[in-house]
Amino acid sequence: MSDAEDTAGAGGTGSLGRSVRRKEDRRLVTGHGRFVSDLQLPRMRHVAFVRSPMGHARITGVDTAAAVDAGYRVFTGADFAGVVLRARSALPSYVETDQPVLAWGKVRFAGEPVAAVVAGDRYRAEDACELVEVDYDPLPATVCAWAAPQVPVHAAAPDNVLLERRFEAGSVEAAFAAAAVVVERELVTNRHAGNPMECRAGVALWDAAERKLTFWSGTQVPHIVRNMLAELLDLPEGNVRVIAPDVGGGFGVKAVLYPEDVALCLIARGMPGVPVKWVEDRVEHLAAATHARDHRYLISAGFASDGALLGVQADVSCNVGAYSVYPWTAGIEPLMAGGLLSGPYRLDNYRCTVRGVATNTAPSGPYRGVARPASVFAMETVLDAAARELGLSGVDIRRRNLIRPQDIPYTMPSRLVDDSGHYGACLDAALEALGYEQWRAEQARRRAEGGAPIGIGFAVYNELTGLGRAASAGPRMPFRTGHDACTVRVNPDGKVTVFSGVTSQGQGLETTVAQIVADGLGVGYDEVEVRIGDTDTSLWGFGAFSSRQAVIGGGAAHRSAVAVRDKVLALAAGLLEAAVEDLRIEGGQIRVVGEPTPRLSVAEVARVAYLESNRLPAGIEPGLEATQFYDPVRGAFAAGAQAAAVEVDRTTGELRILSYVCVEDAGRVMHPQIVDGQIAGSIAQGIGGALYEHLVYDEDGNLSTGTLLDYLMPTSAEIPELTIGHLARPAANPLGVRGVGEGGTLGPNAVLAGALGDALGVAVDTLPITPATVWSLMRGQEAGS
Amino acid sequence: MDVTVSVNGEQHRLDIEPRRTLADALREDLGLTGTHLGCEHGVCGACTVLVDGEPARACLMFAVQADGCSVTTVEGLAGDDGTLHPVQEAFVAHHGLQCGFCTPGMLISALHLLETDPDPSRETIRAEMSGNICRCTGYTGIVDAVEAASSTMRDASRPPDRP
Ligand code: FES
Ligand code: FES
Repeated sequence: MSDAEDTAGAGGTGSLGRSVRRKEDRRLVTGHGRFVSDLQLPRMRHVAFVRSPMGHARITGVDTAAAVDAGYRVFTGADFAGVVLRARSALPSYVETDQPVLAWGKVRFAGEPVAAVVAGDRYRAEDACELVEVDYDPLPATVCAWAAPQVPVHAAAPDNVLLERRFEAGSVEAAFAAAAVVVERELVTNRHAGNPMECRAGVALWDAAERKLTFWSGTQVPHIVRNMLAELLDLPEGNVRVIAPDVGGGFGVKAVLYPEDVALCLIARGMPGVPVKWVEDRVEHLAAATHARDHRYLISAGFASDGALLGVQADVSCNVGAYSVYPWTAGIEPLMAGGLLSGPYRLDNYRCTVRGVATNTAPSGPYRGVARPASVFAMETVLDAAARELGLSGVDIRRRNLIRPQDIPYTMPSRLVDDSGHYGACLDAALEALGYEQWRAEQARRRAEGGAPIGIGFAVYNELTGLGRAASAGPRMPFRTGHDACTVRVNPDGKVTVFSGVTSQGQGLETTVAQIVADGLGVGYDEVEVRIGDTDTSLWGFGAFSSRQAVIGGGAAHRSAVAVRDKVLALAAGLLEAAVEDLRIEGGQIRVVGEPTPRLSVAEVARVAYLESNRLPAGIEPGLEATQFYDPVRGAFAAGAQAAAVEVDRTTGELRILSYVCVEDAGRVMHPQIVDGQIAGSIAQGIGGALYEHLVYDEDGNLSTGTLLDYLMPTSAEIPELTIGHLARPAANPLGVRGVGEGGTLGPNAVLAGALGDALGVAVDTLPITPATVWSLMRGQEAGS
Repeated sequence: MDVTVSVNGEQHRLDIEPRRTLADALREDLGLTGTHLGCEHGVCGACTVLVDGEPARACLMFAVQADGCSVTTVEGLAGDDGTLHPVQEAFVAHHGLQCGFCTPGMLISALHLLETDPDPSRETIRAEMSGNICRCTGYTGIVDAVEAASSTMRDASRPPDRP
């Protein structure tokens, strides 16, 4: 990666497209970040939750007497029974169910909060948890989404199915009848989690006199949280303020409103004037924050003898855990899996049934790449299987089927419209960067002469980013997530303050928004300060999910900056008695086209706008500010391809990545370091999911990977050097950008499983690929030969 | 219990419960919230500080164990005038952080690595920094940053060039 540039004296050259120094870095590298867990307020009290040790059980008694006698405040399910989280969707088959704030009646997963205690510090709060006695009557637990339950998780869904939907296009029967080969596979992907390094945290404060709630939360979606809290607590929305300060990673896990969040706010309302704080520890996080990617694909695909993909039939079960995640619903993974299974491949005949199945495990929720790391794995697996049967190369069968630029706009069988088509170009660039031919030669040499086997794997994918109202994220929920707002204000001294609706959990949005505004307005990057994450200061933003903020929040920032620029120019034109069309702003200076020296500065115009109304030209209002929304209406597909060469140690079963390449079309790249950082980080998460990370429940519903000693996250020793390339094809939005936050996670499962299959000639059907998996695949092969 | 500890060169006397971790004492009693807690069970490295010059996991150490010790946290790295330490500067320049949550621990580990091995290879950096987990960066920027910091620090410690 290139160095960050110093912008001092950068003048009017524009900051977009350059790796300017990130605005957030100085405070973060000096230990002065402002995370929720850092917050200390006068009279603050600490909350700890009593959690269920059982996967499924009736609660027969909760005895808080000992804790209360010891002087602690204790809240139980009965205290909050009037408030439930009910994720709503208008999809016909969807079974609505309730998630309690604190469990009462029964517990549905190990780790579910049952009671909350309040104490002077966290140590005492945990002491108090020990004093609360809960009696359970165990029920048979179901942890697998494709096993029939003895006792359903929710009475409303006797078969545990919360949602089922069928996607259908063309005729799969006719396609399979005409096919030269039909491959059929059962694929199971591993449950894992976003696991941001900062766990969840919140501080709630109730002002009884004003009836106002302030909630500091490490959330990705403060405006949605405000909206939901106002509804749940029956408060005017203006009386709820949600503040997301610095947030230590999110990845979707923090795009959810959790029962713990609501409990904290209800506790605060029960203790007016006392700020109550909860900071989750990692054990709680692994047990009770959302999980993801626990899927099974029964998939068949028919191909012509030249490799043309004729039809796909699939049955997809997604383990959605104990509750339909609020507010996204149990549809979040299954609907994404069914909608995007065919990915970047042309396909006319498609039948796919997807279902979201409740189990006695932690709720599943949005996690970076939602469902597609699994669905891409399924699709790429059948392509590799067919290539092998037809005697084609993995590269040829992909090239044969990819959506091409001339196919655009391409309507996928799920009726999503692809606006990219640059898949072939990404694949070609990835193969070139990998040194595909050399690795093939080396593979052949080792096969002939001996040596550790080498395999090459690929994945081509499309990331659906920046969804506008027509493509809105989420399954027919009561809200449509298409737009964001931004306010750009030039202060009386000419400096700029931006109030943006975006949120940041590491993506550097303060920086990117400042770049956009600086260039849109015509001032220096250092003149712009960006405030985010406070619902009292920014008008609106749906938040961080679906790789939407660069496109949508960025679009709103650009439009607002341009609107303010127009006003600056109109005001300057009046002051200079010049025509607006003849004026330009660059580096904060206003000049007449063709003249060598500027006539006026933005600061002088700002002074007039606020302090010297006597000089205001006729018809111009005081002040220099604009607020604009942006909605791209549709989404922007970002094409991507990944490829890797791996080596297998036949003795240990270890898989070593020799080279890993990713080429993506991020559209116009606004900050090269940030874009590459998003891609590298998401690939690393994908590699973690493919090789190491696995949340395992035993049959009774106990999580057996409950600490970072058993839940393995990749470190700098496991993640290889990554080669990242770009294809910068501008998208059709004001900045020409495509989202880039998630694409990287889509490839690694397919790439590494494919590479292992290529190295050993085995079929990888189950993830993660641990040394034990490799070893048993080799053993199976020996037994079979 | 009474504890005397020097943190970033400043002496502190604290009356502290024996079960209180060093991390909580730093964060809550001294207000030094730069030291972060990512797991509280000794795996993630976010809480890494130097105790008498050696890296320690502040989540696994009781504050009373630091009695009489000298502790360095991320707040102690920059100069009094605000000049960033070369390691901090390199993390900024090479995008060695995204959310910044793992960063304090990364900076302390990097500092210790470069003090013990001024010229590590990328492979050594990857191995030595593997006690700290970062979920955001994919480590590329971090390895770049440590590599760059090692060269700045070597240049700075080299005697002025003689022709
Ligand atoms: S918080 Fe100390 S090692 Fe994770
Ligand atoms: S920068 Fe977010 S965990 Fe490392």
